[in-house]
Amino acid sequence: MKISDYLKEEFCIMELKSQTKEDTIREMVEILNKTGKIKDIDKFIKDILDRESLGSTGIGHNVAIPHARTDAVSGFLISFGKSIKGIDFKSLDGEPVNLVFLMGTNPSDLNLYLRMLAELSKCLMDNSFRKALFLANKPEEIISLFKKFEGV
Amino acid sequence: MPIRNILVALAGSGASFITFKYALYISKLLNAKLFAIYVIDEKTLTDLLKANVFVQKEVEEYKKDLENQGNSFLERVKNLSQQKDVDCRAVLLKGSVHDEILNFAEKESIDLIIIGELKELFSRKDIFYQPEERILRDAKCPVIIVKNQDLVERLFKEI
Repeated sequence: MKISDYLKEEFCIMELKSQTKEDTIREMVEILNKTGKIKDIDKFIKDILDRESLGSTGIGHNVAIPHARTDAVSGFLISFGKSIKGIDFKSLDGEPVNLVFLMGTNPSDLNLYLRMLAELSKCLMDNSFRKALFLANKPEEIISLFKKFEGV
Repeated sequence: MPIRNILVALAGSGASFITFKYALYISKLLNAKLFAIYVIDEKTLTDLLKANVFVQKEVEEYKKDLENQGNSFLERVKNLSQQKDVDCRAVLLKGSVHDEILNFAEKESIDLIIIGELKELFSRKDIFYQPEERILRDAKCPVIIVKNQDLVERLFKEI
């Protein structure tokens, strides 16, 4: 199971309009609405923000992975957003965030969700991979970078 | 050498249930004791905590959820083994999946391990990351990989 099995071109935002953490989360949840897997969009956003209140998911290196396990969605969802200017995610290293991956899962798909988070975190530890994501201009480039990195 | 102890490694999915049905079939056929093992993957939780993706409170919540899911899955397999009159011990373990399975197999003198179908390998590094691959390669006893759901369902009806 790979990120490239779940992250699709239509769920990649190559230039986020939002400038705050809350707006970014909303923008990235809204794009996932077309999956038809979101049962309650407001609750999904609230659950992600509640998770953020425990500690920022800005994990450093200009990356954030806001996420939630919630019954507001069915199955597993992931979207990608890029901000050239950077967003203040109150990251651990204090740096602005340029690459955001938003994930959500129904509690019944917890094992898959954990494997996906681990896989994503493994990919994002690679400097050159992060740089390539930042330099990509089109959604298809994002997908192709994941496929290449994951050896698909 | 007779096969007395069989271990089936379960992950809580629908496919795992098929794996378990085949393990029941083999255990019944050989009159062997069956150990149904479900491992809570604490290693991944720890890795996510170290990577700052998770916070401690979240890890504790996930552990609890995974434990509940594991117990409920094992309850289902226990009921099924009672229906088929197979001696089955259901065990919930915590840690790194392949390590826990292999250590348990050694400790309980397991003669045969049964696992679900292997996931597709996309790169050589998958060999080191996928628990099923590691069980298959590192086990000290024979390992069966369960395939063909229709065949398993047919065999299961025979016992």
